Amino acid sequence: MIQYAGIMLILIGIYGLLTQSNIIKIIVSLNIFELGLNVFIISVGFVREGIAPILTSVNNHNGLVFVDPLPQALVLTAIVIGLGTTALGLAFARSIYRQHGTLNLDEIGGPSNG
Amino acid sequence: MVNPVLLIALPLLLAFVSIVFKAYKNNLLVFGTLLNAGLVLTLNKGQYIIGGFQPPFGINLVLDDFALTGILIINGLFLVITLMSLEKLEGFASVLLVALAGLNGLVLTGDLFNLFVFLEITAITAYILSSASKEYRYAFNYLVLGTLGSGLYLFGLIVLYAVFGTLNMADLSVKMAAVDASQLVLPSLLIFIGLAVEVKILPFNGWVKGVYSGTNSLVGPLFASVYAAGMLFVFGRIFAQVIPLGTYLRTSLVVLGALTLLAGEVAALSKTRIREILLYSSIGQSGLIAALFLSGLVFVAVMQLVNNALSKAILFTVAGQMADSTGTDEGEELQGAFLEHKIAGVGFTIAALSLIGLPLFYGFISKMNLLFGIFYSDNYWLPVVILLGTVIEGTYMVRLLVKLWTPGDEGIVSEKAFATERPLTIQSSKVMGIVVLSVVLLIGGLLPAVIQDNLTDSGSLLDEVTPAYLFDLKGGQ
Amino acid sequence: MTFDIVVILMFLGAFSAYLISKASLKAGAYATTVFSLGALAVLLMGRSEIGSEFSVLFMNFEVTVIGWYFSGVMVLVYAMTSFFNSFWMDKMMYPGSYNFLYLFSLAGTLGLFFASDLITLFIFWEVVVWSSTFIIPMGKSRRAAVVYYTISSIGSMATLYGIMLVYRISGTLVIQEAFVPLKEDPLTATVVFVIFVMAGLTKIGIFPFHIWLPLAHGSAPHTFSPVLSGGLVKMGAFIAYMSVAILPAYEAFEGSLKIMGIPLQLYFLMILGAISIVLGTLMAIKQEDAKKLIAYSSVANGGYILIGILMMDQLSFAGSMMHLFNHAIASAAAFLAIAVVAYRTGTTKISELGGMIHRMPLTYLTYLIAIISLAGIPPMGGFVSKWLIIQGLADRGLMFMALAAFFGSIGSFLYVFRPLAAVFLGQLKPEHEHLKSEPLMMKIPMVILMVLILYFGVLPKWLLGIIGEIQVAAGIEPVMMSGNTILAVNGVLNTLNVFMIFGFGFLISLIIFLLMQKSRRVGLMDTYTSAEFIYTPELYHYAGAFYAPFERLYQNHPSVEKFLGAIAWKFHELGTVVNALFFSHKPAVTVFWTSVILVMITLGGAGI
Repeated sequence: MIQYAGIMLILIGIYGLLTQSNIIKIIVSLNIFELGLNVFIISVGFVREGIAPILTSVNNHNGLVFVDPLPQALVLTAIVIGLGTTALGLAFARSIYRQHGTLNLDEIGGPSNG
Repeated sequence: MVNPVLLIALPLLLAFVSIVFKAYKNNLLVFGTLLNAGLVLTLNKGQYIIGGFQPPFGINLVLDDFALTGILIINGLFLVITLMSLEKLEGFASVLLVALAGLNGLVLTGDLFNLFVFLEITAITAYILSSASKEYRYAFNYLVLGTLGSGLYLFGLIVLYAVFGTLNMADLSVKMAAVDASQLVLPSLLIFIGLAVEVKILPFNGWVKGVYSGTNSLVGPLFASVYAAGMLFVFGRIFAQVIPLGTYLRTSLVVLGALTLLAGEVAALSKTRIREILLYSSIGQSGLIAALFLSGLVFVAVMQLVNNALSKAILFTVAGQMADSTGTDEGEELQGAFLEHKIAGVGFTIAALSLIGLPLFYGFISKMNLLFGIFYSDNYWLPVVILLGTVIEGTYMVRLLVKLWTPGDEGIVSEKAFATERPLTIQSSKVMGIVVLSVVLLIGGLLPAVIQDNLTDSGSLLDEVTPAYLFDLKGGQ
Repeated sequence: MTFDIVVILMFLGAFSAYLISKASLKAGAYATTVFSLGALAVLLMGRSEIGSEFSVLFMNFEVTVIGWYFSGVMVLVYAMTSFFNSFWMDKMMYPGSYNFLYLFSLAGTLGLFFASDLITLFIFWEVVVWSSTFIIPMGKSRRAAVVYYTISSIGSMATLYGIMLVYRISGTLVIQEAFVPLKEDPLTATVVFVIFVMAGLTKIGIFPFHIWLPLAHGSAPHTFSPVLSGGLVKMGAFIAYMSVAILPAYEAFEGSLKIMGIPLQLYFLMILGAISIVLGTLMAIKQEDAKKLIAYSSVANGGYILIGILMMDQLSFAGSMMHLFNHAIASAAAFLAIAVVAYRTGTTKISELGGMIHRMPLTYLTYLIAIISLAGIPPMGGFVSKWLIIQGLADRGLMFMALAAFFGSIGSFLYVFRPLAAVFLGQLKPEHEHLKSEPLMMKIPMVILMVLILYFGVLPKWLLGIIGEIQVAAGIEPVMMSGNTILAVNGVLNTLNVFMIFGFGFLISLIIFLLMQKSRRVGLMDTYTSAEFIYTPELYHYAGAFYAPFERLYQNHPSVEKFLGAIAWKFHELGTVVNALFFSHKPAVTVFWTSVILVMITLGGAGI
């Protein structure tokens, strides 16, 4: 179930990238995409009736059924990378606004083809 | 025995130091690149374990012939390009150090998620460097597409992890080879798309035109030569050595690569600005090299990669310098520009002719080898596409060269008086770098054994270095 | 042993010419003369070396009769033209590089003709192409260099594909052995033959690949056009010879459909050659620029050479080999004569010139003898070679080819006469009154070329002897001579007798001329006609639209240039389409294409 939610979010993000022309909205779509991806990754590690993969004073041996910790570690890294990219994107958005006076890609225009 | 992780760690360390000691940024950068280039020469091949966890549970660095060629090219060219254009650094020194670390990591790593991390690091530094042209909308476009691509790569990777339970390259290659490849079309395709965005394959390369056409003489060759080489080495690693492709996917992707080659060359034909011509040529060459990797011809792909990297370094440096000092890179405005800069002009010509694949230059050797290789695998349509691309590439390169050397309108004898009056200055550091790189291309063309011996066995599989592990990983048991 | 030294020395000579030019431009130009004459001397003396082999770096060479003959022709043209180099040094854009590339391309042709394996052949072929590509734009047209390179490249790449195919089939690259397995399989042999001969066709300038010839030869620097037309075009003939003789085409196509005994594949190429003859002749007749005119005549003569080579028989083959030599020196002489005119007057446009005979009689004589040979009129060499070719064609019953050859010959009377009458004869323009005669260094090669054209027209025995050796090496019957008479199926030709008759007639007319009253010289403008005074000398000199009534007959001809130009433009438009479709500043475009590819390939994979 969760996996479908993750994929749904990914598709919403891609839809946003396809249709939005406001820079901030594009960055938001990108974030939704990454969110969905992260949810999907975590869901891959799910093990039925598994407990959190932490060795505590109660759960302290290898014979128990844990969920897979590796995807959780991957997601942590991916979240941080997404953070960095979003920050950079917003910095670009600010520079674009200062240069062109608008945040709408349709109004900014590209180079003339010739 | 020097551990190659130093190639990654040292530039990172120097990057952090340079943020603290801002005044010494540029010196730290030069020191870092020199150190890296020196370290490369002292390395031994082998597998290096990071963090004490044995693979396939932990991350390892794989230094086989393929990776050795990669870091040699990347570090060497990074050094030459940085030294050529020191005046363009403008505060990007820390970013460049991180980029150097990221690029080395890309080629050295033996773990797929580690590769994702290095991909993102390298990409972020690329986004920052692409903003040097002050055209932020193109940098933003690059950022969005790059992030999307890496996201798709991660998606495909996770699907593979869910199926096979390992992230180690060697382990995965063994496990995937045992399965019918036609079941794994989706994750393989997703990983391909993720890498294809950076490798500039059509139609994922919409960002290239905007980013490359505004580059200066430092960022241009870095992107077209070093970044391109790094990304292509990664592409080759994944698709020639790790992920086996079924016939359907292999053919479709080779066709995509061939289409990229043709589209890039044809698009270059209609352009008149030098940087635009060169960027489309880069797209075409990337398509060619990717098609070669996908066909399994690793050795010849690496040769073509080396040729492309060396040539593009020279070409983009000259083009960027022209744009920076005269304000334009329009071919019509720069007629006869080489009249006053003969050495740089000769270097540019050698690089262009080597790119086309004319004899006496290294490009000819690599082109001959790749054609022989393709014919040997009984593929008769791909050489037609490649040769057509060569004809088109020759046409626009010769057209550009003729304009830059001999000014004058049609019907009038070319004279010195018609040369452009725009003030073009090419620093001696650039000229020296261009001479060094051209000499390498010439030596490669006349005495190919010199370069070939260092490239042999680049096609060796990871398996020969790392034994495979067959543990099951579920639940920590 | 001497030949590898020649090849290496020429490459070194190229570099030294560049260095010498840095010190003194004229000395650099003289260096080119010295080196090319040296190469000629070594070649002539090294005739005994035929059959030897040698290697340089990773390339292998073998000295064959035909290689020796071709390189002799090439070096002769280069050497004669190099005398002219020094006069254009101060006007050239890059004089040092010109000298360098001049000798470099010569070295490349030498390597080409002596190559013993296909890769060496291809390497030197491309070396010559790119080194000559950079000389052409120093003249009048940059576009000419691009067109030259593109068409040349199309041919080279096709030949490269052919070479790779041959290697895949036979496993060897040695020229003498590589084609052997193809004899058994006519279909593959046809494919290989057609692809392989492409480089030859584009280099000779056969229809429809001829459009670069008038552009390049017409606009190149005046000292390089003779080399392009007289020399480099013959490289294509070499490839054509290789495809036919070494394949060997007649054996491989034994079982195919034959027309008059010629296999269909070869007949098709001969048709192209015949079209080139007719086309070159017709286009030459209407040219207004002297160099473009001679360039179109090279197209026509290339057709002759191709047809003769494809025949591979006793007479036509010998004729085309001899025509190779004759056309090389005659075309070179014609271009050199025009170069002298251009040097003194600064133009090659026929309508702007006139009466040059009064100022440069030796040049006039050179041009006259050259065009007599080009038109195929005895007693010059061109007559012998055309006679042999037509003999062979008629003997085989190829009447349409013979008709085209005849048309080319007769048409050539028209176009060679046009520059003669308009440039050299007629009235001297007032602005050219002050011109001096040609310099000594220019006189020397022109005299040498005149002597050669005349000598080999009267006594072709030595030349035909070498050609006979080539024919024996290729496995066909050599052309027979008894004494001074060439023996053919439908008649004999004794060139010495023909020359005697001509000489006798000339002598009689000379005596009559000397005995008769001399004409009285009057000024150009001192004339009066039907109450009108002539007010400008241009009207009095018939130079423009020379053959207007004839030209009107084919005024609206279909143009290959326009057709190929349209194809090139389509590629250009395709590039713009690619650019518009895929490259944008908005990420949405690329995301769209990504989704499309993702969906298509995944669903396609699921379907399979």
